[in-house]
This record gives sequence, C-alpha cells and structure tokens, in this order.
Amino acid sequence: MTAGVAISGVALVRPAGARWTADGHRASPPPDWFDYRRELGQRGYKYVPEAYRYLLAAARRALAEAGYPQPDAAPEDGGLVVGTNSAVARLHADMDRTVVAGSAADLSPATAPYFSINLGGGRLATEYAIKGYHATLTTPRVAGLEAIAVAARALALERARWMLVGATEERLDGAEPAAGLSESGAVALVAHADAAAPPGSARCRVHLRYLPPDSPVGPVLAAVLAAADAHGDLPVVAVLDGSPLGTAIAAELPGRARVVPAGAGCLEPLMQVAALLVDAAEPTVVVTAAAEGNLAVALVCPSPDQ
Amino acid sequence: MDDVYVTGLGVVCCLGTGVDRFWRGMAAARSSPVPTTDPYAHVTVPLLYAVPSKDRPGADSGWGSTTHLAVAAAEQAVADAGLSLTAQDGMAVVVGTGMGDADRHETWRLAGFPQDDRWIPGFAVGSTVAGRLGATGAVITVSNACAAGGCAVSMAADLVRTGEATVAVAVGAEAYSRVALACFDRLGALDPRECRPFSRDRRGTVFGEGAAALVLESAAQADRRPPATRYARLAGAGWSCDAYHPTAPEPDGTQIVRAMVAALAEAGATADQLGCLVPHGTGTELNDRTESEAVHTALGARAVDLPLYSLKALIGHTGGAAGAMAAVAATLIVHHGTVPGNVPLGEQDPDCKVWLPMAAVPVAGRYTMLNAYAFGGNNISLVLERAA
Repeated sequence: MTAGVAISGVALVRPAGARWTADGHRASPPPDWFDYRRELGQRGYKYVPEAYRYLLAAARRALAEAGYPQPDAAPEDGGLVVGTNSAVARLHADMDRTVVAGSAADLSPATAPYFSINLGGGRLATEYAIKGYHATLTTPRVAGLEAIAVAARALALERARWMLVGATEERLDGAEPAAGLSESGAVALVAHADAAAPPGSARCRVHLRYLPPDSPVGPVLAAVLAAADAHGDLPVVAVLDGSPLGTAIAAELPGRARVVPAGAGCLEPLMQVAALLVDAAEPTVVVTAAAEGNLAVALVCPSPDQ
Repeated sequence: MDDVYVTGLGVVCCLGTGVDRFWRGMAAARSSPVPTTDPYAHVTVPLLYAVPSKDRPGADSGWGSTTHLAVAAAEQAVADAGLSLTAQDGMAVVVGTGMGDADRHETWRLAGFPQDDRWIPGFAVGSTVAGRLGATGAVITVSNACAAGGCAVSMAADLVRTGEATVAVAVGAEAYSRVALACFDRLGALDPRECRPFSRDRRGTVFGEGAAALVLESAAQADRRPPATRYARLAGAGWSCDAYHPTAPEPDGTQIVRAMVAALAEAGATADQLGCLVPHGTGTELNDRTESEAVHTALGARAVDLPLYSLKALIGHTGGAAGAMAAVAATLIVHHGTVPGNVPLGEQDPDCKVWLPMAAVPVAGRYTMLNAYAFGGNNISLVLERAA
C-alpha cells in the first residue's frame, strides 16, 4: 500500500513567466531574477550554490505559511527529503576545470564541501534545526515526486512527525549536451502523515515504477494510473520529454493529458504538483518519466476549502 | 509488518569480486592503497583503494564506473539469492551513491561530450541496475554522501516492510571521482599513507572504490521459495541529522547516539545483546574520537568489551557505498558468527576507547550494529540479527 501525505505549506521559487524557445529549449531567465540577498539575507550565502539558495528561499516561505517548525516541537520530529538531479552539476564542472588546469589547492575551501550534493539539505536542516529523517534523492526526472513518496513512507513508519519536501535545480554548465533544457528554481512543501491530517487538508500520493528497456508501456502505465485514479476520469498533466519513453507515454494519453515539456532535471513535475495544490479546483494526476525508465504518477488533491 | 531478511549478497572492492573473496580478505586483514591512474588528479594525496582492473567489468558499455560496479554487485546478490535475471515483477531497487557516474562527466570534459539532444544525468545508476535485473517496482537513488549506502539499505527494507515491494535490492556504489578526491584534498581530509581509523597517527581518510548489494525479502516471500539463504534479519534502523556543520560532526555526538539508540529500539534489542559493531570510522581525527565517545554513551557498559570491526582500514572509505559495504560485512559477521581480526595500524589513539581485536573473536550476541555518517550531518545506524 502506497502511503500519501497531507500538505500544509507550499512555496515555489521560479523565474516569472518561464518561457520556451522555438527549438524546444527553455529561455534563459534574466540573470537578476533571483536576489538571494533579498530573499535570504546579506551574509552567509555567498558560497552557497544557486540551487540551494533557491531551496532555502522556497523552504523559508513554505515553513512560514505552515507555521513550522512549531516552537514546542522537538528538532528530532522534523524530517527533510530533497530531490535534485543537477544542483551541483555546474559546480562540479567549474571545480574539475580548476583542478585539471591547476590543482586542488586552487579550489575555494568555502565552496569545496558543496561538491557533495546533499549539502543543500544539510544547510537547510541546520538553519531550521531539522534533526530527524533526511534524504537527498537524485533519481533522473522523478526525484522531485519521489521525495513525496519517500517522505510519506518515512512518516507512515514514524521516522519523523513532519517533513519538509522539496526539489531544486540550477542551470547546467554550457558545455553539457542540451544545457538549454536547464531548470532554475525550487519547490518546498510541508508534509504530514496522511492518516494524521485534519479533514479538508490538501493531499498527495505518489506511485513509482520502473519500465525496463523495450518493455510495453501501456499495461504498466494503465496499472499505475488506475492505482492513482481508480475511475480514470481525472484530468492529467504529463511532464514528458522527447525520449522514446516520453513519446510512448504521450501516445497512451491521447486527448486526456495536458503535456508540459520536461526540463533537464526533476523540478518541473514537482512544480506542477505545487501549482495544482495552490490553484486546482479538482483532483488531478501528474505523470512524469525519465528516458532511463523511471516512472512516477502523483494524485494531487487540493484542499476543498481553498 | 513482516520481518525483512537478507537473502543475497554481492560485493566488488579493492579486494576483488565476490563475497567469498571479501570474507577471505577480511580474514587476511591486509591491503594498501595505490596511486590513482588519473594524470589530471592534481592533488597532494593521490591515493585510492582502487578496484583492480581485472575486476572492472564491461568497460566498453558507455556506462560510468559507478554503474559498472553497482551492476556487478547487484547481479551477484540476485544470483546468490537464487532469483533469476528475468523480469522481476514488483522488485524494487534502491541505490546509494554520493557522486553517481561523476567520472563519466569528468572524462567527457576532457574528451568532449557526446552529441545528444537531452541532458545525460549523472545519477542514473539505479535505472541501469533495475534494467539489468528486470525490476519493475520503485527505483530510488539516494545521495546522502557517505551515509548513502546505509540509507539505501534502510529505504529498501522499508519498501519491503510496508508491503510496497516483495523483494528489494539495496546497492551502495562509488567509483573514483577526480572532483571528490580534489575537494577532500583541499579540505585537508586525506591521509598520505593509508586509511587508519582510530589510530593515534591517523591523518584523514583514503578513498576506496566499490559496490555492495543486499537482496532483502519479507519472511513470507522467502518462505515461498526455499532454499533461500537467510543470512540475517535486518532488524532495525535509526536515522538522524546533526544539523550542525557542513563537514564536521556534532562534537558531543548527540545525533549519532540517537541513531544508534533508535536502531536498537526498532530491533527490539538491548546493548547487551550486541555481538559486534562495524563503525563508520573514517580515519579523520574528530570523526573517530566523536564516534568512540558516542559508542560509550549509546551502549553504556557493553561498549567496554564490544568488538569493533573497522572495515575502512581494509578497503578505504568507499563514500556512498560505505554503508552498504558495512552492511555486507556485518551480515557476514552475523552469518559466520566470527568477528575477523582488524587490520593492524600501530598504536591505537588513547582517546578512542574502543576494542579493535587484532585476532578473530566469536560473536557473543544475537545482534550486530553498523554506523554510517556523512557530510551534511546525515547519520544512520542499522542492526542485523542472526537468522533463526
């Protein structure tokens, strides 16, 4: 049985009016779209990679909305699950060039710890004294939705009482293939065990599957969609790329899904979930998949009170 | 919820390939790092407990090195469990890796990236493993730095425990990365001689390469298909986060104590029932001292004569694989009922008051614990129980 979560805080940090170019790439956001000093403060963030500044800003907003961490709660009650594919990809490229052209001694000691992709979550945990369950997930494309599934399971097993769930990405190094598909921004949600949430809470449940190469897509997709939406009558948002798997999934949803182009990483699917939690009038299914075979399907139920 | 058993094991490391070789290597207690072969590793300590070239399978597949190692270990584990390498309906895969296939991007930066109309993610290790195993369940990649492998084992067990998967393969995998080595070098965290956890003369850690895999099944599932070997029961897990500093452990060890205590509690065990501890023990000065003190705080009087098996002294610090490597070592210790003698490293640090037996001793207790810690303050402790 796949567990779900109730959501009490939602925040998105993204460039205003994100656009796509004619060749299917994401238009680069203006360089000044995010002012970390205004969002986070004048000091202490100079050496923090961009993706983690976005995540910290999104978390700040979501926690404020939800009123967490609660003053009387133990730090051990809180948990954190973050999805990202490329948060440090550009940092790694910069570091690597520095070492190849010079030596490790040329690296900044303030930046060096951030080679480890979980450091953004670590910084977030430190700022808010979140000392319980902590996972940084990196599964291609689905890591953002996967964060909800992992948080839900950990909450159900009482490894934490509440969770900050998020995803973040930043622009890729220009030398990488398809760097034009870069994503920039972050999402943060405050999540609770579904069973313990008050009536009327917004809720989300995520199902994960893997499609081995060359396996038929239809039966697996149908089964996962049925698990999320038993009657098969809910609207569907499909965040897909042009890979064979993405194309096959789109073909299985003719006329049913609103297709949103996927970016390079795992941000857009969770962005869609967050936007639906804030704006949707009815439950909606979000589908996404990676070219590598990872499939995630989320049932998003906004609060009926909103 | 059903019990979760370890029914298959696989490992690749500097000792070579296979669980038998690994166990014999633990008994022999001899190894040493080698210079990295990367001519662009412009670092002061270019040492590595490298996987021997003969144990690097399929180098022409286009995969990164971490994927190679992960696939090799996972296939061993699945074969060891008596499962076939065909479509495994509902099998889940959880991979722990800190750097993924970073080496592939490092190679491409020098040789040129392939032409592609999509970005090639660095953390597709689990996807490739799942494809090789025919898994169709959840496939999760967790990158909690040097605790990732231990986290993967716990997350895989949770999938089985909650009934979301009947079988889950947990893998920890890490290959050489120039960026990771350089950053540790810049932080002054590398020992110029060898990995010497708890030694008075330790100077830091030394990276190792490798992958370790464990097949986890519910008791009901294992019962349905004898003669599956039950190596051990994965009895408990404790998670915590220091929320203290990017790289340094919390000095009083409060959160690593909490992880150990929580793992024991979930296992339904007491400290007196522990027969061995596989510590995180990296060879860094503060980490080893903090862990030593935390062991006493968490385990009380049992810590005085509890044998520790210090794995990183043998195979180096395998980063995101380390927790899974420790889980395989702990499983073998539980299964064989023997704690192998530790690698001799000279005089032990008097501030690290733990017992590192230099000769094999019997496991005097039903349970064995392992610890895995990481940059970012991520901590996990696991408890394994001798199978009935």
